[in-house]
Amino acid sequence: MTAGVPDVLVEDVLLDGRLRIEDLVDRQGLDEVCRSFHALFGIPVRIYSAEGALLADAAGEQELCAYVNTTPDGRKACASVVGAVRARDPGESGDVVHPCFTGAAYRILAIEYDGRRVGRLIVGPFMPHTIVEPPASLLAIDPAISAERAKSLLPKMPRAKAETVTRIAAHLKSALDLILFSGHKAHVTSTMHLASVRESYRQLEEKAGRLQEAFDRLKELDRLKSNFLATVSHELRTPLTSIIGYSEMLAEGLAGELRPEQQEFVATIHEKGEQLLSLIMGLLDLGKLESGTMRLAMRPTHIEVVLGEVVSTLTPTARKKGVRLQLDLGRSLAELRGDPERLRQVFLNLVENAIKFTPVDGSVTLRARMVADESGDGQDDGLSLLAPTRARLEVRVEDTGIGIPARERERVFDPFYQIDSSSTREYGGTGLGLSIVKRLVEGHSGTIRIEDNTPRGTTFVVSLPQAMPTVAEAPRVTV
Amino acid sequence: MQINFGGREIAIKLVYYGPALSGKTTNLRSLHQMTTEGSRGRLMTLETKDDRTLFFDMLPLTFRAGGAGGGGARSEGDRGMTLRVKIFTVPGQVLHASTRRLVLQGADAIAFIADSQISETEHNAASFLDLRQNLSELGLSLKQLPVVIQFNKRDLEHVRSDDEIGALARRGREPVFKAAAVQGQGVLETFFGLLHLTWTKLDAEHQLAKMIGVESTQLLPMAARQLGLEGDVSTLLSACVGGSLDRHAKVPA
Repeated sequence: MTAGVPDVLVEDVLLDGRLRIEDLVDRQGLDEVCRSFHALFGIPVRIYSAEGALLADAAGEQELCAYVNTTPDGRKACASVVGAVRARDPGESGDVVHPCFTGAAYRILAIEYDGRRVGRLIVGPFMPHTIVEPPASLLAIDPAISAERAKSLLPKMPRAKAETVTRIAAHLKSALDLILFSGHKAHVTSTMHLASVRESYRQLEEKAGRLQEAFDRLKELDRLKSNFLATVSHELRTPLTSIIGYSEMLAEGLAGELRPEQQEFVATIHEKGEQLLSLIMGLLDLGKLESGTMRLAMRPTHIEVVLGEVVSTLTPTARKKGVRLQLDLGRSLAELRGDPERLRQVFLNLVENAIKFTPVDGSVTLRARMVADESGDGQDDGLSLLAPTRARLEVRVEDTGIGIPARERERVFDPFYQIDSSSTREYGGTGLGLSIVKRLVEGHSGTIRIEDNTPRGTTFVVSLPQAMPTVAEAPRVTV
Repeated sequence: MQINFGGREIAIKLVYYGPALSGKTTNLRSLHQMTTEGSRGRLMTLETKDDRTLFFDMLPLTFRAGGAGGGGARSEGDRGMTLRVKIFTVPGQVLHASTRRLVLQGADAIAFIADSQISETEHNAASFLDLRQNLSELGLSLKQLPVVIQFNKRDLEHVRSDDEIGALARRGREPVFKAAAVQGQGVLETFFGLLHLTWTKLDAEHQLAKMIGVESTQLLPMAARQLGLEGDVSTLLSACVGGSLDRHAKVPA
């Protein structure tokens, strides 16, 4: 696993990010800070970016400046000073004073962040406290400028000592530094956060990819296994048919009279052969069901007939084990569309299982009822459109046996699954039956689930849809 | 490393790695306190309170070499160069793995801050293995990167003895420094040991000194001066108790 090319964005932000004031602070907020400085100290403040763009401006026009601007030469001279101030580099020291012909001065300071100059702070114009008379440079600019008027306006200029301006500027710079730092930190945090999320996502994707690969491999293996099983089962069945056939012939005395002991041995061979055959048939069924090649011969079917046959077939088994087997048929059971052979297989299997796991003096009950279809998604919206149009027939196989823990109820339908491998030895079975049952029920558009049978035991609930009365019969359905 | 020829700037990234609570941030804080204002930036500590996805520190240091000298601002036309060092700590907690890897990306060198307490020995080892794993996921290896090891918290009780650390250090490749970062001891030594290794390696690989017209041997003393350090850098480097500070002096084959 390699992360590949380092994240350029992160590297840039972390290592050598060229920071710009305008990227780190809110322009309007910066302007407000400058205005509050202006309000507090009365001295105009401007902030320029490294590229010379004006970012914040808190500078009302001074009356003296306005007066100078009323004369043509004054206006020209003023514009040239303002232009020079705007263009002036604060030099190596990062702090220079730019004088104005009015006697006022500008302080130009470098704004530094992370060891680099990111902009300039211009404080002024302000009148140094040493200037009390309009200087000659002011009066010389334009003959129209009156010395008297200039003198009256001079005191209205903001005044400050150089040290005061230095302190004000330092204060503003430190406030600005904090703002820039906060902005920088937020920038780094968000970039890292994003990168971190992306990194986590990449890891998850990688993991999902590996899981998908493993899943695909397992699916392929599963398919191979099913194929193998189907082939082997088929190959096993042929010789087994001969074994059963010949043992039958032996038993019938076609090869001469057997002594009782021989008869018994042959009967055992026959019985075990039949068992083996039914197991192999089960495997073949499962293979067909899994590959979707099992065909159900669907036709109108009465469940009471199917269930009646099941009960009569298994009554001897139940009696032998000392288990009561009961059939409880509700009234007006609807006709189903199904394959009676396969349905018989389903219930034979379920009831046989129930008898197997029910102790002596227990009971197994088969109940069939009509119920309203509950296969909807449980929501009320669109009911008039989505409401089921058919009733369902529910067959419950209830036993008073050992029960199935809730967490196992889904898995018992997996092929070859047995809750406890020791139960195989105690109760026999291959673990194939229920997986076949489930697939056959689903082949009938039905469902099967497991519920508790209080106070003890298990109930298998098979729910099958009633036949659609109006639909013409389709001869066969592929599951 | 990033080189900006136009701006004559070199930016390098040092990462302080180690188990949780071994004193990585304390190292940075001490370094921050010991350095002069001109050469250091603010120590940035990133911590997202809610989900604790991010948790790391960053201390920027800026050194000027050649030209007009001195820290702080400079103007165009000055032919000196600027070495910008960014030191990062990684989050030691196990759950911050993705942040650790992000911070580790593009690292030029690593200081491994180990906790000297005997009880922390296993955490040190686990964190070192984690470092190795993360580097390999980034396509890097410890063999390519300058690494120094610091045994921190020498001021505490129940720590591994000096003899033990000395013996271990002599067997290992990496230079080892002892420190009590809370008191500022060993912090500069570790930093300069790492800076020395890093500079030597990068200089050998990229002929930095030649390119920017600075004597290779001059950089460290200059950096030390700008950090407000009196005396000789070699005194700092001699605090190293093992490994080799010269292993990157040669250009790798």
